[in-house]
Amino acid sequence: MISVKKVNNRPLNFLERIYLPEIVRGIAVTARHFFTNLLRPGNILTVRYPEQTIPLPGAANQRTRHRLKLRADGSPKCVACFMCQTACPAYCIHIEAAEYAENSVEKYPAVFDIDLSRCVVCGMCVEACPEDAIAMDTKEIPGGALTRRDMLLTKEDLLRNLPGEPSLLGASNRLANEYLEGKK
Amino acid sequence: MTPFLYAHQDLLLFAGVGLAKVIVFMGGVMTFAALLTLAERKVSALMQDRVGPNRASVFGFAFNGLFHPIADALKMIFKEDFVPAKAEKFLFTLAPFFAIAPVIALFAFIPFGDYVTVLGYRVDLQIADLPSALFFILALSGLAIYGTFLAGWSAKNNFALLGAMRGAAQMISYEVALGLTLVGLLMIYGTAGLQEMVRAQGALLLGFIPAWGVVLQPFACVLFLIAAIAENKRTPFDLVEGESEIIGYFMEYSSMRFAGFMFAEFLEMIVIAMLLTTLFFGGWQVPYLYEAGFTLPGGRAIPLDHYIVSALQVGSFTVKVVFFSWFMLIVRWTLPRFRFDQLMALCWKGLLPLALLNILATGAALLFLGKL
Repeated sequence: MISVKKVNNRPLNFLERIYLPEIVRGIAVTARHFFTNLLRPGNILTVRYPEQTIPLPGAANQRTRHRLKLRADGSPKCVACFMCQTACPAYCIHIEAAEYAENSVEKYPAVFDIDLSRCVVCGMCVEACPEDAIAMDTKEIPGGALTRRDMLLTKEDLLRNLPGEPSLLGASNRLANEYLEGKK
Repeated sequence: MTPFLYAHQDLLLFAGVGLAKVIVFMGGVMTFAALLTLAERKVSALMQDRVGPNRASVFGFAFNGLFHPIADALKMIFKEDFVPAKAEKFLFTLAPFFAIAPVIALFAFIPFGDYVTVLGYRVDLQIADLPSALFFILALSGLAIYGTFLAGWSAKNNFALLGAMRGAAQMISYEVALGLTLVGLLMIYGTAGLQEMVRAQGALLLGFIPAWGVVLQPFACVLFLIAAIAENKRTPFDLVEGESEIIGYFMEYSSMRFAGFMFAEFLEMIVIAMLLTTLFFGGWQVPYLYEAGFTLPGGRAIPLDHYIVSALQVGSFTVKVVFFSWFMLIVRWTLPRFRFDQLMALCWKGLLPLALLNILATGAALLFLGKL
């Protein structure tokens, strides 16, 4: 059912036609806002972002700055499979793969760069990752930077676990950790 | 050397005092105009529940955006000074000067205080006390149209030309109304000198109402404000600029040339605020404050020092000017733009007959009530 709003366009009365009283009413509204905000700046809803942050609402927590998870021994979970690079619609991920010298089965990323100036924060890389290695749950919002270099996240910037995270989730990760245990 | 100084002592003193007044007054006006560019953005922001510019900082201190005028000026200076290939180069260069020079000249006639006595020398707080200042002001504000039209025409851009043509039509129309609203004041005060008008406004009506222009000519005050805002080409009369549709006569201007037009607009705003204060709101007069101090209607007198009285008067003028500048900012951010036919109808069918009627009523009142 489409709701229809009936607009009653009555002709303007004399005071409205000479326009000045209506102008005074309009100015009263804007002046009231001006003085309220001047005297009580706390009422302004604007968040002065880099200095001031508010808790992110709802699922926005799951789309913040990227990170690469670590295994129990500190090696990256990422196996340099290029899934995220392929899935990325903004082409902002650059991976160069390398092989472990003592473990010719598995690869690791020698270079893993994310160009935040290109990233559209869509979360496709997280969806694509078969190893649960990349996540966007740091709750840090990628903001502005003064140079392009500051917008580039390298492997060193990305590799970190959240405090208290066991990093043992996921079947493949458990297997990898068991393998590492067995080697010791 | 010494005989020369003695022979021309008065002249040299006059020149020195004049120069000092120009430097102090124009310095104040220019600073205020710069702050007004910031105030325009801050006031509009606060009206719309926003914060406004607050990022420009010096050594990490932003003072809520106080440095933005400096940042804007620096940006303007370092922008490319662009001249379109087809433009009329000489006139294109000349137009910003035509826009800004008449406005600056207008400040010479504004009385910003009564007088101060410095080392026994009487200094009138007005740069030039011209007996026909009001006519001169109208003539100079009529010159401002050259800046607008030359800018639009010499750029050889259709949108700029459109803006300039709108500007010419609008400014010529509203000039008529602007001049006619002031005739009533001329009739009442019997002078065209602004300082004399302000002195006359120090009188009291019925023993307690200050005889300000707004009390004697309330109708003319409203008409003058409307016509003056239209003459200044600001919203709701900004069809000349129409930033959402044609950009306007300064479309092809960049860098400091554009800054010239923008600064002229803000200076015009200050001039209008000052004229409104001077003509209708008692100029530097504070109610019941005379040369010797306050004399309240009951007859109670509070004697004050000459310098305190002068400071109060200059302060009163400043407060009034700041208030009316703020009022014009509020008006600009409250009202939508007129259509062009509405603009012309307002002038020729609204303001002009009302101004003529006001003259008639003033004349009748003067005839029957005698000289006020």
